[in-house]
Amino acid sequence: MRKLLLVLVALALVAGAVSAQEIAVIVKTGNSSFWQNVQTGCFDAMKELKAKTPKLSVTFLGAQSESNIAEEINIVESAIDRGVKAIVLAPSDVTALVPAVKKAKDAGIPVVIIDSLLTGPTSNYVSFLATDNDAAGRACAKELVDRVKAATGSDDGKIAVMSYVAGVGSEIGRVGGFKDYIAKNSHLEIVTTQYSNADMPTALNQTTNVLSANPDLVGIFGANEPTAVGMGRAIAQAGLAGKIVAIGFDGNAALQNFIKDGTLQAIAVQSSYNMGYQGVKTAYDASIGKKKVPAKVDTGFIIVTKDNIDSSAAKNVLY
Amino acid sequence: MSDPQTRRTVDHGPEMAAATGRSGAALDRFLTFGAVVVLFAVFSITAKNFFTMRSILSLALQTSTTTIMGIGVTFTIITAGIDLSIGSVIALTGTVAVMAAIAGVPIWASMFVGLLTGAACGAANGLLITRLKLPPFIATLGMMMVVRGVALTITNANAKPAPEAFGGLGNDTLFRAGPQFPGISYPVLIMIGVALVFHFILKRTRIGRYTYAVGSTEEAARLSGIKVNRVKIINYVFSALLAGLVGIILASRMVTSQPNSAIGYELNAIAASVIGGTSLMGGMGTVGGAVIGSFIIGILTVGLTMQGANYFMQQIVIGLVVIFAVAFDQIRSRR
Repeated sequence: MRKLLLVLVALALVAGAVSAQEIAVIVKTGNSSFWQNVQTGCFDAMKELKAKTPKLSVTFLGAQSESNIAEEINIVESAIDRGVKAIVLAPSDVTALVPAVKKAKDAGIPVVIIDSLLTGPTSNYVSFLATDNDAAGRACAKELVDRVKAATGSDDGKIAVMSYVAGVGSEIGRVGGFKDYIAKNSHLEIVTTQYSNADMPTALNQTTNVLSANPDLVGIFGANEPTAVGMGRAIAQAGLAGKIVAIGFDGNAALQNFIKDGTLQAIAVQSSYNMGYQGVKTAYDASIGKKKVPAKVDTGFIIVTKDNIDSSAAKNVLY
Repeated sequence: MSDPQTRRTVDHGPEMAAATGRSGAALDRFLTFGAVVVLFAVFSITAKNFFTMRSILSLALQTSTTTIMGIGVTFTIITAGIDLSIGSVIALTGTVAVMAAIAGVPIWASMFVGLLTGAACGAANGLLITRLKLPPFIATLGMMMVVRGVALTITNANAKPAPEAFGGLGNDTLFRAGPQFPGISYPVLIMIGVALVFHFILKRTRIGRYTYAVGSTEEAARLSGIKVNRVKIINYVFSALLAGLVGIILASRMVTSQPNSAIGYELNAIAASVIGGTSLMGGMGTVGGAVIGSFIIGILTVGLTMQGANYFMQQIVIGLVVIFAVAFDQIRSRR
């Protein structure tokens, strides 16, 4: 009797899931304002699309931390097992998620990749929406080089790169583009690259150590949100605010304050909202709407400085 | 464990022979302390700007949090337990304290609220272990997830900037004297205070003696009239309380609450504790050992960074130090 009941409950659940027209959004982790902003975009898209498909639902899931790749794979596989209509995925690793995405494709579930690169055949997914991280990294490098030149009159000197998780797609593009621009367009020397694992206290400590080991540092780059905040704190605590050129990435409230008080000179802000919003819309078009979708979409970024922080262009992307 | 301590433990329970310390304990401690001195000397020579007052004070500040966590977890490990919820408790207490401060609670009171939150987490750990008879590994593993989830839920995973005054504890210093001597940070003074108080508790009070007794042979401790459950709960409260203190210090240093930070910090604390000679089998460990263990990790991290060593190499080196420190301990105790 009890077994029968269980089977019925299971069937009801499966039936419910199937008829619900679910789009599963799976991100690296739910745990930061960046991803929260992606989520807002997803749910806004859902509200619009519900007019056309009332049974549409969007679920937003992520791993405990950005470096927990295995957990993200499990989340993708369980979404496939649930029979979702489409998956929007921000892969936390460039290769590890390839088999899971292939599995989704084989099950007839279209996958839209957002935020970070995924290797393997591009036919595995229907669309790739992201900040052009390489371009954003280069823009940060240009900002740094120009400001060092303006401050010291030369493009010589030492700089440091404060990165987050080694080897993830967005990091390879962003820090790679940054370093390439520095090497080709200046004589600046990158003395060290540190990885905070996207943990703010770690970034604070690492920056403190880099600053005290290199008192002649002229510039520094913090490559994602928690890392840039920790870096900003360390610069302020070392009394170096405004004395070295500091460029950050992403744009939460703490980073905006650093721009306003001159601790950081510029931040590159991605449109995380757009990633979620367009991600869900593209996934909808590809599955329920049965439309052809563009293979690649640049969701854009903007360099925010003290001069433009109050402009409407900046306000649209800051969170 | 010092010898007089061991004897007193035995006095309290005739069957506590298992708690007998090693005769080489003093020598061991001398050797681990020697390792700190050697490491320090090596980096002073090889890493530029390492041997400056500024760097040394910064090293002490950076290590203070690991030390405080390490002391807390040492108490639970001595009772043959473990506390895996430390990182999550750090995130929750910092978050709660900052939210209280944002809501207009005076800074000192908001920090106190944070500490109480930590203590409550510890009490929950202790009750799960003693009342539901859960293995400490499982109870604190579950709490690790629950507490992290609570921290993320109440903040919606957003980092919240704290009022500027909240940053005083983590960023202000005592005896500031110009750029050469930026002063001793409050977290360093707190670390010293915590080390002295908890050393006293472990060595000079009944709770401390009972802690060793419970960790050595729990059944014998129970038979000799020790309220084992109460001792355990107190130890988990100590651990979470100190984690809470770290949470407040970190939130103050960042001047933000970080619901998603400090993931995996408990492992640093456990590493510091075992490098300092605490046995995961229970019944053995000291506050001084945890302090030394933390500083070995701290000096390696800061020194290798300042030396410009490859970041990935740092992890290898620190991992090897943990392995060899414990292996060395094992070889010595087998003799």
